[in-house]
Amino acid sequence: MLRAYVIVFLVFLYAPIALLPVFAFNDGTVIAFPLDGFTTRWFGAMAGNPELRGALLNSLFVAVTSSVLSVLLGLAAARANIRYRFPGKAAAMGLIMIPLVLPEIIVATSLLVVVVRILDFPLSLWTVIAAHTLICTPFAIAILNASFQALDPAIEEAAIDLGETRASTFRLITLPLVAPGIVAALLICFTISLDEFIIAFFLTGSDPTLPVYIWSLLRFPRELPTIMALGTVLVVVSIAILTLAEWNRRRGLRRAGQADPGGFL
Amino acid sequence: MKDTSTEAALISLREVQKHYGDYHALRGIDLDIQPGEFFSLLGPSGCGKTTLLRTIAGFEDVGAGTMMIAGQDMRGVPANKRPTHMVFQSYAIFPHLSVAQNVGFGLRRRSDLNAQARNTLVEDALDMVGLDGYGTRAANALSGGQRQRVALARALILRPKVLLLDEPLSALDRKMREQMQEELIRLQRQVGITFILVTHDQEEALVMSDRIAVMFDGSIAQIAAAETLYRRPVSRRVAEFIGVMNFLPADLSGDAVTVPGLGTMFADAMQSQATTDSAPVIGFRPETATLLFDGQAAPDREAQGTITEVVYYGDMTYYDIDLNGAPQPIRVSMRNVFGRPLLDRGAPARVAWSPGAMTLFR
Repeated sequence: MLRAYVIVFLVFLYAPIALLPVFAFNDGTVIAFPLDGFTTRWFGAMAGNPELRGALLNSLFVAVTSSVLSVLLGLAAARANIRYRFPGKAAAMGLIMIPLVLPEIIVATSLLVVVVRILDFPLSLWTVIAAHTLICTPFAIAILNASFQALDPAIEEAAIDLGETRASTFRLITLPLVAPGIVAALLICFTISLDEFIIAFFLTGSDPTLPVYIWSLLRFPRELPTIMALGTVLVVVSIAILTLAEWNRRRGLRRAGQADPGGFL
Repeated sequence: MKDTSTEAALISLREVQKHYGDYHALRGIDLDIQPGEFFSLLGPSGCGKTTLLRTIAGFEDVGAGTMMIAGQDMRGVPANKRPTHMVFQSYAIFPHLSVAQNVGFGLRRRSDLNAQARNTLVEDALDMVGLDGYGTRAANALSGGQRQRVALARALILRPKVLLLDEPLSALDRKMREQMQEELIRLQRQVGITFILVTHDQEEALVMSDRIAVMFDGSIAQIAAAETLYRRPVSRRVAEFIGVMNFLPADLSGDAVTVPGLGTMFADAMQSQATTDSAPVIGFRPETATLLFDGQAAPDREAQGTITEVVYYGDMTYYDIDLNGAPQPIRVSMRNVFGRPLLDRGAPARVAWSPGAMTLFR
């Protein structure tokens, strides 16, 4: 019974995604069965589209910048959370983590109001980057919390005891030991930002990110197979990045000889 | 016995206080530790011994009072500028470095050394703790006892004035622990560095230390050499914490002390006097009384009773004896020397004892 339930659940979850590559390689503009034969021309059309390339570059710029910013913020927050006790810590951490569960449409709307009406700031990729940093930081903190949790505080004290300063201890001891967590957080934030649509749609100006560009293509039925091809590429890249993140995290734990505190995935 | 005059003290603490919020962790610590001494801080968990050690290391600030190390006031001196190095309870081995990189970590700041000199120092340090040839291994591939040795070598390579050891043997099994105890004593004699050991294990403290400070609730109850601490505890609390002691209620009238089951003796004739928070008692160690076998006569006093329990330890046997008239049984330990019989539970017992082995707590 449970086995059947799991199978039905997994089919329900992954069947639509499995259809992406099916129609991406289908030689026909209508997204329906029966299939019309095999082709790779949609991938060619995708590669030859300058607007799509521009959107991809925008997305990469946003994803790289916001994931680096999120991880820098996450490092500071996670270290403070695990190492220090201070008044209001629980409240502060709770508030930082809330964007994790807030409906994105609410975040997007309120950010749009703040940026345009109150700050009177022109919409651009930078407003998207700021918003993506906001939603990615909780993920970075969650991953880095686990990294710092697994790090014996006596190890940092031992380095200071042996003559190092706080800064050189961070560079020589802390950073190498939490590096797998940092890489994992970077990769996951990158994926989240790359795939994010609602906030990017609200806050981007004239430069669309990839998901926003895809949405704009949906109005033209003959472009649908190209979107299928693009979707296939995105799914493969996302899965590859997440696998890499988790593999890297486990390798780091093994190298440090630490127990697995439970990954984010 | 070391000289205990204050001018020679390497570490000198006066009225040291430490608060964590409302919690009073150190309540006025006065302490002098001599150069080359093996000094132990002994007490139950939560007594402040680790806080005191971390204060000396510089990981905690002194709330009030003064701390001098080698004649220098330590107020405002951070941990990385102090002439102390620490061996942590978890060993705190750097897991991403090799054994040699761990041991040589403290040499990074020594610009006067070239690579050759560094290697020699690392090899000497590894040699000293019996890990020669382990330098290239990954530090996290070592066993508990080996990590312990790496931590020791890493802390000793810089020849600190003081080595601080925070429960260094608590993670090892019993055999390994006893072996490391002896090695630590040997090492301390060899390098001549002052060792300060924190432990909750009274046996460990007695075996290893020149002097021991017994701590309760953030205060030092007694500072003494092992033998003094064992034989002349200053309070019932210290006496109960160190080893086993029999306690029997004492009735005081003038100089005369009457103990049910033992009889009357004079306070002057007793080994020592100490304090207690509750009713007066006399106390004595299990090995200071002796069971008398057939025909033996007591050299001093004799008491009668019944054996209620026999606990056999191989080299020793512990007898619980209900003395006639005493409110609770006492424990007597006997060495199982060749030819000595074991007595059975329920058998009558004659116990030889002496007022000279008693401590009066009042």
